[in-house]
Amino acid sequence: MTSIRSELAKLLPAAVTAEIPGAPEAEIRMAPRSLDEAAAVLRFASGHHLTVLFYGGGTHQGMGYPVTPDIVLSTQAMRRIVDCQPDDLTVVVEAGCPVAELEETLAEGGQTAVLPEDATGSTVGGMVAAGISGWRRLRYGPTRDRMLEVLLATGDGRLVRGGAPVVKNVTGYDLPRLAAGSFGALGLIGRVCLKLWPLGRRAVTVRIDDPRRARAAFRPLAVVEDPAGASVYLSATPGEIEAQIAALGGEVREGLRWPAPIVALHRFVLRVPARLTGEAVAKVRHHGHAFLAAHGVGEIRFGDDTPDLGTLAELRSWAEGQGGALVVAAAPEGYAAAFDPWGTPPASLALQQKVKHAFDPLGVANPGRLPGRL
Amino acid sequence: MSDAASRIATPAAAGNLPSMSMVAELRALLGPERVRAHPLELRLYDKDAGITRGPAKAVALPETTAEAQECVRIARRYGVPIVARGAGTGLAGGAVPVEPSLLIVTTRMDEIGEIDVDSRTAWVGAGVINLDLSRRTAPDGLHFAPDPSSQSASTIGGNVACNAGGPHCLAEGTTVAHVLAVEMVTAAGDVVVLGGAAPDPIGLDLRGVAVGSEGTLGIITRILVKLTEDFPEVRTLLLGFPDMGAAAACVSGVIAAGVIPAALEMMDEGMVGAVENYLHAGLPTDAGAVLIAEVVGHPEGVAAEAGTVARIATAEGATTVRIAGDEAERAAWWRARKSAFGAIAQAAPDYYLHDIVVPRTRLVAVSNRVYEIAARYDLRMMNVYHAGDGNLHPLISFDGSEPGVRAAVHAAAEEMMVAGIDAGGVLTGEHGVGLEKRDLMARVFDPVDLDAQARLRLAFDPDGVLNPGKVLPAGSRCHDFDFAVEEAT
Repeated sequence: MTSIRSELAKLLPAAVTAEIPGAPEAEIRMAPRSLDEAAAVLRFASGHHLTVLFYGGGTHQGMGYPVTPDIVLSTQAMRRIVDCQPDDLTVVVEAGCPVAELEETLAEGGQTAVLPEDATGSTVGGMVAAGISGWRRLRYGPTRDRMLEVLLATGDGRLVRGGAPVVKNVTGYDLPRLAAGSFGALGLIGRVCLKLWPLGRRAVTVRIDDPRRARAAFRPLAVVEDPAGASVYLSATPGEIEAQIAALGGEVREGLRWPAPIVALHRFVLRVPARLTGEAVAKVRHHGHAFLAAHGVGEIRFGDDTPDLGTLAELRSWAEGQGGALVVAAAPEGYAAAFDPWGTPPASLALQQKVKHAFDPLGVANPGRLPGRL
Repeated sequence: MSDAASRIATPAAAGNLPSMSMVAELRALLGPERVRAHPLELRLYDKDAGITRGPAKAVALPETTAEAQECVRIARRYGVPIVARGAGTGLAGGAVPVEPSLLIVTTRMDEIGEIDVDSRTAWVGAGVINLDLSRRTAPDGLHFAPDPSSQSASTIGGNVACNAGGPHCLAEGTTVAHVLAVEMVTAAGDVVVLGGAAPDPIGLDLRGVAVGSEGTLGIITRILVKLTEDFPEVRTLLLGFPDMGAAAACVSGVIAAGVIPAALEMMDEGMVGAVENYLHAGLPTDAGAVLIAEVVGHPEGVAAEAGTVARIATAEGATTVRIAGDEAERAAWWRARKSAFGAIAQAAPDYYLHDIVVPRTRLVAVSNRVYEIAARYDLRMMNVYHAGDGNLHPLISFDGSEPGVRAAVHAAAEEMMVAGIDAGGVLTGEHGVGLEKRDLMARVFDPVDLDAQARLRLAFDPDGVLNPGKVLPAGSRCHDFDFAVEEAT
């Protein structure tokens, strides 16, 4: 391995890095400064049968089966906002750009990429790769629906572009959506173009005791239930906000007061059809977990320092029976052996394997991370 | 280079061909009425709403996924390629066979399943007509957001195949944002569900690529659609401007003001004249460009936003600013917009419709180029635009029986598409690549990009039997890019 490392260092001297904060141990650490360099690393890895783990902010590395890589490839040196076009409602950004930095820049122009609100430390590429959406998906849809273009360094080191920086497109297959949530299984998501939305002129958070009362709200950004009640998030013209507040009742606070992320040794995401959100909350609450539930979406995040495996299995079995899933968001090392990170693989697994192979024929890109150890 | 992605199917079981013919086997499965093979009947199905025809071997009309699956299996046994097709309202030749094919027509798969009002979802057959779905869900206060102009005839399956848009996709997104899952018969004859009713199904998002794949990745038989709640208030504005530049400046101003209307539709002077002549909907025929803007939502928000749009329009020099007084007036304006193409049929026997998308701020520049090109070829052209999306629909009307005119139309069409690509745009926003734009794909994508798309297609359809010859140009799969594999072995 030492000789391989020096061979790679000779090939891409500037991309070798001493430190990738938070990343797992690996023989080789690379931080390419461009997609060309990233593709060269992957091509080299394929040629030498080495596995590569992609690393952004590390906030969602706890999802999926653990990967023991030969190379950790960080996007920390690819973090530019390449092209911001507020008039076209688009932004092109490199994978390593911190979400907070992008959203701050966009907010100056009164816009948002609708990336997760509690994304401290997360990168744009990481959020896209993990398919993570924020609370505002109730109003604006999931992150994958804003993916207009992707530049992908495939597992075997090809530099592939899919989509285009226009808001509507059916020119060829939708690689941007395929990349969203792919957890690096196809290669490195190096650069994306995202669709933007204007921020509302006024935004408020309305605290209510019963989430069912949120039905009085018209197209809220989000309705998030927690163990003590629920918050309805509104963003609109001042007149509409006043009218909606009057219809809703409850305690009003200016601005969007997003809930603090759940802090626990183990964190999970329960995903069910939207109508079952209340039922899912009842089950999670019954077991005493800290939780945050996105009504109208069907996503319930919960955490526990000492979860009971029997309870989790029961919850997973119920969710899967309803067409949903119970996914591990974070857990201590080795937990995957006790409780599967994904649960039952999807019925389309055979097709998924072929698609993975089309982009990563030698299985070097985050191998084994996805359901079915894809 | 090889051409695996678009090669013709070969009999899977050569030397062991069943004694019955494919048509006889299909008839044994579906009965004689739902299998068509007479040349006159085939003529009804071997074209779409565009200008090309292709060779059909037989037409099958399954009513269930299981029947569609069996049709695929039968076709595979005979080595016959398969082309899926809905109502045939497509314009890009996506449903027109290139090889002698079995056409699987989905129009009989028109069942609307139970509507889950609380989750706002429903499973629907691929053959359900777009408008029928919204009519069915109306009592629950829900609708299916994609609304292509063809919505009274086009099927949801066809909408999914082309990732259809429509005037109202500016705020709500195209079809893919409204499809949670698809049930699909694969090239191998298996049935698989991609996606699901819960958010973010685990694994790769194959649903996302199945949408817009134009029947090349599988035969989609059922769709889990996401429904959108109806809007308590709708306000529609009819705005007339002296020229296109002023109308486009109004669109820019509206977006800069932080308003994303549900629709921002533009028509040029020629189109307004043709439509008025046809429908007498009350559009201002003296305007150089007409904009239909629609804001929807909460009554308070709608009132404020409609005011914003009207104020910006006036500031940009609008000569007509009207707000629809009632639903009848609103419906008349929309009927005018959506019958733009019907109006053209009156003007000339043939038409050719484009679907160029560019970054929105390049709309006027590209539009001007498009007019220059039409003038140079001496072609009659009119334009409708989804102005908020940067989607141009230049429409050339012509008489195909005039010598040389078809060649001129095609040459002009290619130049117009290249003008869009040069401005950072794409070939198609909602109609699909099909046959018509296939050979221009290499103008948009590098060989390595096309090779990646061809590999993706081969992952679904290794023998190239599903809608062969569409979307990707011949030779897209290029083994020059197999370098890493070679180095590793």
